[in-house]
Amino acid sequence: MSKTYKSKKILVSRRYQILALVLVLLAGGLLLLPKYHKSEGISPELFVKNALSTERYINTDMLADRLINQDPTILLIDTRPEAEYNEFALPNAINIPLKDFFDEELNGYINQDIYDVILYSNDNFYSNEAWMIGNRLGYKNLYVLQGGLNEWFKTIIDPKYPDETMPQEAFELYSFRKAAGMYFGVGVAKTETLDKPKPKKKVITTPKKKKRVPEGGC
Amino acid sequence: MGPLIPNGLIPVEWNYIIAIFIGMAFGYILEASGFSSSRKLAGVFYGYDFVVLKVFFTSAVVAVIGLYYMDYLSWVDISQLYVQPTYLWAAIIGGMIMGVGFLAGGFCPGTSFCGAAIGKIDAIYFTIGLMFGIFIFAEAFDILEPLFDGSNLGHITLPDTLNMSPYWIVFIFTIIAVVSFAISDKIRNKVKKVFY
Amino acid sequence: MENKKHANRHVYWNPYFGGFLLGLLIILTFYLTGRGLGASGALKSGVVTVVHTVAPNHAESNAYYSKFIKEGESPMNNWLVFEALGVILGAFLSGAFTGRLKFKIEHSPKITGKRRLIFALIGGTLFGLGAQIARGCTSGAALSGMAVLSVGGFITMLSIFGTGFVVAYFFRKNWI
Repeated sequence: MSKTYKSKKILVSRRYQILALVLVLLAGGLLLLPKYHKSEGISPELFVKNALSTERYINTDMLADRLINQDPTILLIDTRPEAEYNEFALPNAINIPLKDFFDEELNGYINQDIYDVILYSNDNFYSNEAWMIGNRLGYKNLYVLQGGLNEWFKTIIDPKYPDETMPQEAFELYSFRKAAGMYFGVGVAKTETLDKPKPKKKVITTPKKKKRVPEGGC
Repeated sequence: MGPLIPNGLIPVEWNYIIAIFIGMAFGYILEASGFSSSRKLAGVFYGYDFVVLKVFFTSAVVAVIGLYYMDYLSWVDISQLYVQPTYLWAAIIGGMIMGVGFLAGGFCPGTSFCGAAIGKIDAIYFTIGLMFGIFIFAEAFDILEPLFDGSNLGHITLPDTLNMSPYWIVFIFTIIAVVSFAISDKIRNKVKKVFY
Repeated sequence: MENKKHANRHVYWNPYFGGFLLGLLIILTFYLTGRGLGASGALKSGVVTVVHTVAPNHAESNAYYSKFIKEGESPMNNWLVFEALGVILGAFLSGAFTGRLKFKIEHSPKITGKRRLIFALIGGTLFGLGAQIARGCTSGAALSGMAVLSVGGFITMLSIFGTGFVVAYFFRKNWI
């Protein structure tokens, strides 16, 4: 064998050895990679930012307005315990107490991006808790009723008559609230048992089915 | 987040167009690596040409390492990829029949397409034979059905059965592949050369 | 050394390079479509379509064909069929670029062309039968199966090549 041929053969063989080494190193790299737990949902920084902003709050007037206009895109979720829900709840609200947050059937109502989910409770507490969990996991369209049912009572059911010195808007707001109150059944004689309308189960296309299973074969 | 079409990131209508392009690339690579020649394909069994071993193993190792890296980087979700169901006895016996067919005919379906495309008449005959074989299978299906449908172990993967971390399996697989490449070169130097 | 290269225009790619590209292609296929490659499935669709056209009643009453016959949709409407068309096209292009397009029967000089063709036919029949039983061939089951570390893929591949090595002795006259 000529010298050049021999040296060329060694060179080629050296090249293959390097390539083989690269391959083994890549495979080994996979082994040694830190096994971090892939966190599901949004990053902690984004979460804090969302928590600090007040965008998620919807105040009672806006909610009343949407309910009266029969806005089909909202979904009311009552986050209080069942007993309180059975006593009184906003019309067409679905009861999902915090302990049932991940219940398979009920989670579908919260974890979807078709309807706007409005969480409420007596004050802000439970609804904010629910919002925190949902937002951390990246659920969309979650809102919190500001002040909860307590605020609801104070504004819609029993609004405060504004003082003389208040601007015109305050009076308009007051009359709006009074009208809303009547829509929701304020002023109806207590003897008539308020037929609490059963919350119509809104049909939510389960987003789980959207994932198409890949076909395969030979 | 891949895979793209099952997750709806690409509309489904593209599926067939992608199929054609992927097929074209597949055919090109196979033919350019020499898989359209039956004598090269049969070489791995006699030691005079190991192209089948090299291409097969290299592509499998590259693919599996690439997929697992992409899974780590969250570009692909490995659990969503299609894993074929394991029918134990069907795979073994079918594989045995295929092994005999491979040695007799010198092709496999994918490479016979390549051979037929460039005009190799034996590849065309092989493809016709394939169709005969499928026809015979369908006609004799009643007899063969228990073998075909039996012992379904489900869509299992190696990490599940061996209870090992997939990364170890990939690593060992790579080592085996590299070692076999080295051995194949040594064998090739010792075997009588065949020219074609 | 240089003369040999010029005379032999059938220069194939370096197998490692081809394997590397093929590996990348498999990754791309899985990334785009979530499934691997395949070959024999296309022929199966072809056979089913032909039988269905020629003898529709027989096709429907047969337990195997009826699995693939759907109302109003031809069995050829299948990912693998399109992929197989692409394979043929791609191989043709590659052959065209490197001057390998030629009608010939490739056989060892020790046997006749006719014998080669007969064996190709028999081999094809056996392979087709085996591929249906094992639900896959080397590209679909073995290659794509190994890429996702599927047990079925590994078993099929080991079975094919294992048997191949065992029976290679009996076919040696054809090749060496």
